[in-house]
Amino acid sequence: MPTTLTLPDKPPALKAESRELDFYYGSFKALKRISMPVYENKVTALIGPSGCGKSTYLRCFNRMHDLYPGHRYDGSIHLNPDHVDVLHRSVDPIEVRMRISMVFQKPNPFPKSVFENVAYGLKVRGETSRSFLSDKVEAALKAAAIWSEVSDRLDDLAVNLSGGQQQRLCIARALATEPEMILFDEPTSALDPIATGSIEELIGEIKQKVTVLIVTHNMQQAARVSDYTAYMYLGEVIEYGETRDIFMKPKRKETEDYITGRFG
Amino acid sequence: MTDKHLSTQFDHELSDVSTHVLEMGGLVESQVAQAMYALAQFSSETAGQVLSQEARVNAMEVEIDRDLSMIIARRQPTARDLRLLIAISKTIANLERVGDEAARIARTVQRLINTGVSSRMRLPVGDVSFEADLAIASLRKALDAFARLDCDKAIEVIRQDNLIDQEFDGLMRKLITYMMEDPRTISASIDLVFVAKAIERVGDHAKNLAEQIIYIVKGTDVRHNPVEAIETLAR
Amino acid sequence: MAALPPRADELRAIIRAHKRWDFVFGVLGLLALMVGVLTLVALFANMAIDGVPRLTADFFTSFPSRRAGQAGILSAWVGTLLVMLVTAVCAVPVGIAGAIYLEEYARKNWFTDLIEINITNLAGVPSIVYGLLALGLFVYAFGFGQSILSAGMTLALLILPIVIVTTREALRAIPQHIREGAYACGATRWQVVSHHLLPYGLPGILTGVIIGLARAIGETAPIITIGALTFIAFLPPLPLTGDPPAGFFDWLFSPFTVMPIQIFNWTSRPDPAFHQNAAAASFVLVFMTLGMNAAAIWLRYRLRKNIKW
Repeated sequence: MPTTLTLPDKPPALKAESRELDFYYGSFKALKRISMPVYENKVTALIGPSGCGKSTYLRCFNRMHDLYPGHRYDGSIHLNPDHVDVLHRSVDPIEVRMRISMVFQKPNPFPKSVFENVAYGLKVRGETSRSFLSDKVEAALKAAAIWSEVSDRLDDLAVNLSGGQQQRLCIARALATEPEMILFDEPTSALDPIATGSIEELIGEIKQKVTVLIVTHNMQQAARVSDYTAYMYLGEVIEYGETRDIFMKPKRKETEDYITGRFG
Repeated sequence: MTDKHLSTQFDHELSDVSTHVLEMGGLVESQVAQAMYALAQFSSETAGQVLSQEARVNAMEVEIDRDLSMIIARRQPTARDLRLLIAISKTIANLERVGDEAARIARTVQRLINTGVSSRMRLPVGDVSFEADLAIASLRKALDAFARLDCDKAIEVIRQDNLIDQEFDGLMRKLITYMMEDPRTISASIDLVFVAKAIERVGDHAKNLAEQIIYIVKGTDVRHNPVEAIETLAR
Repeated sequence: MAALPPRADELRAIIRAHKRWDFVFGVLGLLALMVGVLTLVALFANMAIDGVPRLTADFFTSFPSRRAGQAGILSAWVGTLLVMLVTAVCAVPVGIAGAIYLEEYARKNWFTDLIEINITNLAGVPSIVYGLLALGLFVYAFGFGQSILSAGMTLALLILPIVIVTTREALRAIPQHIREGAYACGATRWQVVSHHLLPYGLPGILTGVIIGLARAIGETAPIITIGALTFIAFLPPLPLTGDPPAGFFDWLFSPFTVMPIQIFNWTSRPDPAFHQNAAAASFVLVFMTLGMNAAAIWLRYRLRKNIKW
């Protein structure tokens, strides 16, 4: 009999779910029948070798592929609570991007001031009130753990910040619009270990408010940061599960070969 | 440990540490065998040899632990590799205690000899030797199973531990009878009880080793479960 | 120093021989450069020596005259300025909008490729052809007459390819990750263009515009073709002056002259005093052109300072 009383974890709610998703670049089938859940307020990591399709899959969520010709979605990604299929042609990608933000591999602050960068998402929604924007910008910069470093130079150029600061600024920019989900595309691969550590710490904090989907080629990062992990190879999800299972006792040999470095 | 890592250095490190574990296992196995030989022959010299090995066993434990720490720090192992290293850490602790038991047996032999006990007393040394043979065989089988990461063999070892326990119980009853029959044998009999207990513990350590093997191969922690449950868990 | 192994000595000799070639080429390159630079300097100095003494305040404020001593470039430089104004107003919005459409909006298909090829080809069309086109189209068919408006529009056509191409280059220089960052924030295509691409591309765009204008300022053939007059002793009317129904835009339809034509006119006269006038006017024209180029460089430097990716 258990001697201590532990409350069972609440079963996680489903934030998004892809169903039989195929994706084509022209005639090349980059994603094959991907069906995978993304749980709310949890961090889900996508790992796999180069070219396995993890970034391609990530960029389906906010319709980034629509910017380039030759793309084709086949299948669906449903976003809760309204269960809308974000890939459907009747859904406006702009609306999708207002619900799902993205942070990129190379920090990409605009050549504008810190304030303007963070406020940009709100500006494109038509917010003009300076006081409203100030509050939101401050909240976002605090949530991104960079407020103390930039509070006295909000009007300075964002590109003058260090790499790690720039990436946290981009995270603040993504957070300012209070999105439902944030996509991280290898957010720390261009950063030094200390900046990487602070970003990982940050992801652990923001997941309480936002659902996180992160692509990383650093397995230890996936192990540290995520609650759920999917291993992908050649456009398919080979295995999906809770991170501790994937890293201690994976079900598929391919998964184990990859994470133990026997891949090749 | 059959598939190769991308890093051959990592492969070497793992196979080196496994080899050392088997070396240590062989050493403590021979210690136990030697200690039992010393008991059977009442040989103070052999007992002395067993004791002189103790420092080496302890040193091996420390060394292997240090190698383990270094591998974990450098390689950030996951899944099977991580389970292997964790299991080895526990295994060498068990082996070290087997060495301790062997040393205890040897010291008991020396005490018996010093107090003038000899083969003249009709002590059930043979029974103790029988129990010891079971335990040593168990240990050898467990080490074999470790070398081959053989789950089925490991389960046999676990099952065999029950036999060893039964033998111990039988021995206890016999020794109690001896003590009741001839009070002069009490001192020596109690010493034999200690020896029998030590051997029973050797069997337990072999069982622990087997449980670790199942953990490495299947990823399931089967400790503190009865044999039948283990067979199901290890499927 | 200890004796070096023989191999090092050989190496040293070889390196020395190669360095000699380095030096030789450096000298030759410098000589070649000097030929070009010194020729230009000599021409310019010659022109300056001839013309600068003639540069008095009167020269800038007088109309042309049969008497060389009294002739000035007032109507010419005012005409040049006004024509440049019209050129800029016509070429810049059309060119920039066209470039933005081609770069950001148009789909990459054969039709777009066709348009692109045509635009680049237009840059190579001889300027007199533009003049003839303008004569038929602007002067006669549209009825603008031989006016500043026609001249400005003709030159606008001339420099349109330059503006479009440099604007496209400026847009292309903006890295894709900036666009993606803006789109990821939920911006529409026009928001991306107006909030990001135009502001960041502005240094390049402005440079292109100014370079285009600097070229247009010296174009003579099309202006002659559409009939700029050479002896204009009056200025285009200021807005709202003159007989009713004079309005803001009467000056557009006024006859005019420009600097290159005035220079040409004076050069073709036998009187050496007029040649001095021509030299002085040339000096002014070159100065204006160099000034515009310098402004382009300075503007580019100033605006580029804050743009980093």
